[in-house]
Amino acid sequence: MPRYLVERTFPDGLEVPMNAQGADAMLGVVNQNADFGVTWVHSYVTDDKRKTFCIYDGPDPESIRKAAGCNSLPVDRIIKVSVLDPYFYK
Amino acid sequence: MEVLERESFLSELGGFLKEASEGRGRLVFVAGEAGVGKSTLVETFCRGERDSARVLRGSCDPLSTPRPLGPLIDIAAHAGGELERLLRSAGQRHEVFSAFLSLLSDSRRPTLVVLEDVHWADEATLDLLRFTGRRIDATSALLIATYRDDEVGPRHPLRMVLGDLATSACITRMPVPPLSEEAVGELAKGSDIDPGDLYRLTGGNPFFVTEVLEAGESGIPPTVRDAVLSRAARLSEPARSVLDVAAAIGFGSEAWLLSAVAGPESDAVDECVAIGVLRQQPDGSGFTFRHEIAREAILDAVPIQRRKHLNHDILTTLETMISADLLARLAHHAEEAGDRDAVLRYAPAAARRARVLNAHREAAAQFARALRFAGDIPPTERASLLHEYAQVCMQVDYLDEAIAAGQEAASLWHDTGEPLREGQALGELSQAFVSAGRNVEGEHAIRTALWLLEPLPASAELARVYSLHAHLRMLNRDTAEAIAWGQRAIELGERTNYVRAVINGYNAMGSAMVVSGDDKGIAFLEHSLALSRDAGIDVGIAGAYGNLGSAAGEMYQFEIADHYLDLGIAFSTERDLDYNRFYLTSWLSLSHLYQGRWSTAADLAAGLVRRPNIAAISRIMALLALGRVRARRGDPDVWTVLDEALELSEQTGTLQRLAPVCAARAEAAWLAGDRDKTVAEARRAYDLAIQHQHIWHSGELSYWLWRAGMKHEVPDYAAEPFALQIAGCWAEAAEAWRALLCPYEAARALAESYDEDALRQALQEFEQLGAAPMVTLVTGKMRDLGIRGIPRGPRPQTLANPAGLTRRETEVLGLLAEGLRNAEIAERLFLSPKTIDHHVSSVLAKLGVQNRVEAGREGVRLGIVSRQDREIETPN
Repeated sequence: MPRYLVERTFPDGLEVPMNAQGADAMLGVVNQNADFGVTWVHSYVTDDKRKTFCIYDGPDPESIRKAAGCNSLPVDRIIKVSVLDPYFYK
Repeated sequence: MEVLERESFLSELGGFLKEASEGRGRLVFVAGEAGVGKSTLVETFCRGERDSARVLRGSCDPLSTPRPLGPLIDIAAHAGGELERLLRSAGQRHEVFSAFLSLLSDSRRPTLVVLEDVHWADEATLDLLRFTGRRIDATSALLIATYRDDEVGPRHPLRMVLGDLATSACITRMPVPPLSEEAVGELAKGSDIDPGDLYRLTGGNPFFVTEVLEAGESGIPPTVRDAVLSRAARLSEPARSVLDVAAAIGFGSEAWLLSAVAGPESDAVDECVAIGVLRQQPDGSGFTFRHEIAREAILDAVPIQRRKHLNHDILTTLETMISADLLARLAHHAEEAGDRDAVLRYAPAAARRARVLNAHREAAAQFARALRFAGDIPPTERASLLHEYAQVCMQVDYLDEAIAAGQEAASLWHDTGEPLREGQALGELSQAFVSAGRNVEGEHAIRTALWLLEPLPASAELARVYSLHAHLRMLNRDTAEAIAWGQRAIELGERTNYVRAVINGYNAMGSAMVVSGDDKGIAFLEHSLALSRDAGIDVGIAGAYGNLGSAAGEMYQFEIADHYLDLGIAFSTERDLDYNRFYLTSWLSLSHLYQGRWSTAADLAAGLVRRPNIAAISRIMALLALGRVRARRGDPDVWTVLDEALELSEQTGTLQRLAPVCAARAEAAWLAGDRDKTVAEARRAYDLAIQHQHIWHSGELSYWLWRAGMKHEVPDYAAEPFALQIAGCWAEAAEAWRALLCPYEAARALAESYDEDALRQALQEFEQLGAAPMVTLVTGKMRDLGIRGIPRGPRPQTLANPAGLTRRETEVLGLLAEGLRNAEIAERLFLSPKTIDHHVSSVLAKLGVQNRVEAGREGVRLGIVSRQDREIETPN
């Protein structure tokens, strides 16, 4: 399964409340993704919460976009990546 | 025997049957390893539902060449009526299948249909499964199909059917696992055998377990076969002899056949039933083995010579009762008996029968069987057989076999001096070559065929060769020649009353004319369509739609293309003409791409690319569409698809495939900023495009050469919008593109200007389409020109839906905000107006507003509705 990095911009800043509603929203995303064979691995969020860099596993870029559409998430760029771990060559 | 650990399956099936009785039919695939108890499960279920449902059963034979539509024939024998009549009179496949389907909606009770062992199904039965699976939800039937999933590998024909049906909601896959250690222990109660050992050795396989337990030994045989044989070892000699006969006959043996072949020993069959190696049919008409595994084990243990003799006796006995349905069985036993004459007598007949029933794979296998025994038959007979074999192989895409057989047939006829048949064989051989993408060899075969047939009196064969020739020329975009040969095909076809040549002639002419810019070709293609309709040739109709849609698409006439592609897809879907449907869909995805509907285009294209076995031409166009969308969006995985497309199109060597692929590659290279590669890719197909004077291909390739800075002479026939751009007339070019419904190309033309308004417009269009690389390019250009006030970045979106609207409600709100009325929304989303009314009320309530206008505003405020035009995803 290829891995993709998805760059997103939230001009108003991304707010996910630390409560039941927030948890629901996160799990909602996971469930919608499953419909397209897409797995959200994790995301990196900037301090001002305006940009995120999200790591996804999925079959192709189109599934990433469809999952994003269903979850009302913006997509600036999709880049295909592979993992390089510092201890991989040990 | 009690049925352990199957209660959940039985109750699930019961639920499905209830749904079926309410008019919601379903197809359930019961899958599991051999001996895991699929038949037992299904049998138990059927027994339980005997009073509430009408039960129809059919099973597939483990023969190397099963009877075409075997299980359907079994069912028709009991159900009688229209279905039986149509099968007897070898009715049209579509009618036979429709009769079966109406059987499923027939009575006041739900219908329970069981098809056993569909991993052995012949091609026609697989088609029936696919046909039924796609339409069963509207019937009141539950169809249960069992198969051995450990025998269905990735290339197995059943795998294709399962894949095709995978997305239907009314299909369920029910995998049946082996027994647990607990259950094995339960069964082993009261025997001396250690349950742990038993479980370990048998893996929980119910058949193996019961075989071991019923043998009553204290040891556990290492394999199932040993278990079966050890049980059989307890039989007396006559009983064992009868058992061998039964094994040679098949899984089920008719009582009369068994007694005829086994003679006086057949009385001993009761002993077999008593020991439990055979079961007797309730009506006494015959016997079956407990399991196919058992039969195979017994048969394997029979010495070869005796096996041959048995098959010989079975053959001669069956021969006294010949009927069309028996042919496949006769051919099988003839081969097993090593009886050459019988094989040559029955296999070709079985093959022809299979063809009539559209079981082409089985027909091919029967012809191949005949050929194995046809070493020393007279050359003309052998050539005839090879010819028929080649024809059938073409129908199932066994192209290598078709080519080899065709070549041998042609050379045999050459040796015996029959130019007419040699010409005919070469004509068909050329078609095989072209399908395999070996166009040059196909060319050679056609020319030889022409040379042979022209001196002879006018014939349908020659008309056919004319039409094949016209088709080849059309594929290569040799317009004038295609038209000339097409005319000859039509004239001679009409004279010799061979309508297929006429149809193909019109096809070739029409396509050639359209792709050289002559709209009159459409009328020719419409005429071929009408002729196919009159003659009832389904593939002709679907093919004509394909030619109309693809030719219009190649000329950027997308409204016309869409019209024919939609009609063609609807027709192909109705008649299960998958080959045509895939090609039409690949062109539809391209049409969506050019009209700016990228998500829909990518959806359709990705759906096709995911299928492992579609024809190269469909795959090439789908890869092309996917590659362009990804390149234009700036998404990854562009070159994987475009490299494969290049490889496939190079094999065909034709302009029709090579040019659009190279153009797409040139575009992708340009968007990635690689000037040299842009030139190299455009150059790859440029000479070919010029040679054929293709308006659009030479236009686009010239454009990319120009864009990458290569000075060259632009042909005067190059397509207008591209020519205008190259000449610097960006405004007129943009206008021309808009008239052709191509928003991306129009914006690209505007982006070539230095005009602030034009650049802003281009930027807005690119942002709306999501064309990230062009957005970057244009913003950069605007900044360099010192233009201020460039919008930065994408529009705002919120994470979760703050008003708590469901996905459907959000969709409705979006359309509502666009100003659509409820009736229009209902049409768009394929729902009833009443359902839309409910959704709208819910949306208003959740947003806390009074009317639609406020709802739209609130939606935008909350970020649920974006200001950009939304793409509505159309269902396939």
